[in-house]
Amino acid sequence: MKTTAPGSEGRFAYEGLDRVIHERARLSVLTSLITHRKGLTFGELKELCALTDGNLNRHLRVLEKGEMVEIVKKFDRNRPQTVCRITASGRARYMEYLSTLEQVVRDAATVTEERSAGLAHRLAPSQT
Amino acid sequence: MVHCYEEIFRQSADMASAREFPSATVDKRLEVIYFAVQSVERMNTLNKALSDISRIRRQVAHSTEFRGYGPATLGATGILAFAAAGAQARWLPNPASHIPTYLRIWIVTAALSAAMIGTEMYARTRRIHSGIADEMIRVAVEQFLPALGTGALTTIVLVRYVPTVLWMLPGLWQIVFSLGVFSSCRFLPRAVTAVGAWYLLTGLICIALGDGRALSPWAMAIPYGVGQLLVAGILLWSGKEERE
Repeated sequence: MKTTAPGSEGRFAYEGLDRVIHERARLSVLTSLITHRKGLTFGELKELCALTDGNLNRHLRVLEKGEMVEIVKKFDRNRPQTVCRITASGRARYMEYLSTLEQVVRDAATVTEERSAGLAHRLAPSQT
Repeated sequence: MVHCYEEIFRQSADMASAREFPSATVDKRLEVIYFAVQSVERMNTLNKALSDISRIRRQVAHSTEFRGYGPATLGATGILAFAAAGAQARWLPNPASHIPTYLRIWIVTAALSAAMIGTEMYARTRRIHSGIADEMIRVAVEQFLPALGTGALTTIVLVRYVPTVLWMLPGLWQIVFSLGVFSSCRFLPRAVTAVGAWYLLTGLICIALGDGRALSPWAMAIPYGVGQLLVAGILLWSGKEERE
């Protein structure tokens, strides 16, 4: 994650917020895959992310194009099965995204905290 | 932060009970209180988001294979075990009558090994598991610490209260160590289970010896030397396989 000193240029640029990941369904897909080391079948992923076949397919294609997931088609008990796994690069990009997201929330919390402190100051009896 | 909220609520309660302000001031104050309450709600939402992110990190750490143990360092600790056994064979021909010296040799060896593994684990985990390094180290330590603690406490109790059965120590150390290896297996390559079985087997053999023979330098060198070299080989091989 790129960090800069407070107050410096680009302090709130958040370049780690990857556009490919920064979409609810894709974030959901990646979070499911990163917590299942051996991967998930298409059906399991669809259920976990509450997506339709078409939607999941579309998002998986975007993630596959970005080399963040790999899709393996194989047979399990003579039945075709599609297994999705997160790649090493997908894992690294997801972790970077998570760190940046955490930074965004921390920055927002700092601002809110400062405002609360200001309000407390305005409510002090000596100010009335 | 908590003090800040407490201050807001305390003052708003004071204000409500006082009823001595002109109406314009009261309106202004109510407005400020409204924004203060909103701030508190926003902080709650942000804190929840932060705890959600931490939870995801924890889940990722629990489902990731731990790569913090370096094969070279683990191999080196195996060689260190052989070196310690060599030192014992050279300077302590009758360990049963010099238990404090025997304990010093092996406790120093264990401490050196732990320091080497710990230092490398910290550096490797920061490099390989960036983003979840702290969580991964915490998980790894949590898995092994109970075994180390149990081993240390068993040693203290036996030395202090039952010195007649100190010959059992090498066997007990190996059994307890095997439990640490077994509990770490979940986040290590599957083959590491065989190393846990190795330590368990050697520990049981040591106890089966039934007397001072269990204090022989080779009763420690062979289990730990071979065991550590074995785990180093497994990690090296699985790392190569993953790179391919």
